[in-house]
Amino acid sequence: MYNSLTRIQNVFGFFTTVAFVVAALIAASDFTAPRTPSATIKPTNVQVVKGRPHYYSTKKEEYAIIKFSLNADFSSLFTWNTKQLFVYVTAEWPAAPGAGNSANQTNKAVIWDSIITSPSADHLSNLGPASLKKLRKSAAGKTIDPSRGKLSLKNQKPKYQITHPSGKIASTDDVTLRVHYNVQPWVGVLTWNQDSDLGLWKKMADGVSAAFALPALKKKEGEKAR
Amino acid sequence: MLSGLQNPRQAAAQLLNFGLILSTAFMMWKGLSVFADSPSPIVVVLSGSMEPAFQRGDLLFLWNRNILSETDVGEVVVYNVRDKEIPIVHRVVRKFGTGAHARLLTKGDNNAADDTELYARGQDYLERKDIIGSVFAYIPFVGYVTIMLSEHPWLKTVMLGIMGLLVVLQRE
Amino acid sequence: MAEQFLDQVRDAVDGQIVRDYPPTPLSIRRTTSSLTNYYLQDFEGQKLAEVLATVVLSIVGGISFLVGFFLQDIALALKIGLAGTALTFLLVVPPWPFFNRHPVKWLPVGGEPAITSTQQNIVIDEKLFTK
Repeated sequence: MYNSLTRIQNVFGFFTTVAFVVAALIAASDFTAPRTPSATIKPTNVQVVKGRPHYYSTKKEEYAIIKFSLNADFSSLFTWNTKQLFVYVTAEWPAAPGAGNSANQTNKAVIWDSIITSPSADHLSNLGPASLKKLRKSAAGKTIDPSRGKLSLKNQKPKYQITHPSGKIASTDDVTLRVHYNVQPWVGVLTWNQDSDLGLWKKMADGVSAAFALPALKKKEGEKAR
Repeated sequence: MLSGLQNPRQAAAQLLNFGLILSTAFMMWKGLSVFADSPSPIVVVLSGSMEPAFQRGDLLFLWNRNILSETDVGEVVVYNVRDKEIPIVHRVVRKFGTGAHARLLTKGDNNAADDTELYARGQDYLERKDIIGSVFAYIPFVGYVTIMLSEHPWLKTVMLGIMGLLVVLQRE
Repeated sequence: MAEQFLDQVRDAVDGQIVRDYPPTPLSIRRTTSSLTNYYLQDFEGQKLAEVLATVVLSIVGGISFLVGFFLQDIALALKIGLAGTALTFLLVVPPWPFFNRHPVKWLPVGGEPAITSTQQNIVIDEKLFTK
């Protein structure tokens, strides 16, 4: 029977097919956009303080507070299919030699992160009305805004103070800071910074700090350190 | 609609066709599950804790094999808290050690605090076995129907009503 | 009365692509019953509706991708896609008259001229009855 219901079914069925094909094309178009990310990072001020994991805890742990300066150019990561860019800085250090583990045991913790939305996703960002208005105004009339990918932070305070499950982190040697990114698309595969070039996508230029040591414990009571 | 009762062969064929559709869907799901090594290779986002990256109703494709490298900091993983069967999708923010017993800490991009509070009593970190997959691909919005149906059960009644109405209004 | 009303609603829902313009008076339709629908199909129109849906949706998909890609605007691509799909529904689902240009011309029953409302010939067991 060829009535309006079958026609609705036919049109809707083919619409889903077309929608999936277009979505696949959009996802594939990511690979046509060159990516040339670059970043330089260096620690500017490092402290280790004692604190408690939360207010009611009696346990005392050592927390590292690593301030850093970051210059990064992620503007090439913004295309029409970019929903947001998640930029994060990790501190990495090998396990203590006496811990009995193999030497390549590593520890990795995020000390700072930032969500950079594309103008197409501004309405989704978790901001107050005033700052959201400001954000939208900054990209008025633009569908993509690569300039948001340019970061310049001087002596930035970390968002997260880090520790180790053992509670000991003071005087750790061989700590490096590393910049990472994660591109969240509107549709398609999620991508992180690669270790090597992949087609038009170059690996990140630099983005690693020189190794440094955490200082010995500073005699100061750190309140609610988390 | 009622013609099936008059013609048992046609009714049987319809039943078989329906069974075929169901078993094909089930096989594809299980095949994907084996391929990705994850009990649930496609999940629907139920909470807003990863906004603005993931909204409620978005569809996530998971991959649970560590072929090239281990599950690392910065990856978005779906995990089950010990003894609880509620999958949570959050980002790994700390990793201590390597291998199966590396200690992992997660946090939702949209949450102020990390997930220590969400874990089971006495569980401070996740291990690799708690994770049922890392998000590798994303389709927005498509899973919203399932959220609508589970949160507003009256919609199921409405859908049944519409179907019944169509049966009445359709000519054979 | 209720039956007639239900019949009208059924027609509206069915929206068949049939040779039914101008609509036959309801009294005739009541007597000829739902079998009318099988007599009055326009197969050309049905094919046209199918081809139209496929072609318009494909073109909309293509335009949506190309415009989005070259203007680097995914919101615009989504809007074009949804608007184009709505247009396709509007174009294909209602039984527009232009789907009805090639009604099936049935042979007159029993070699007589076409059925009229006043005279109907019915063949049962190869015997001809005239009412």
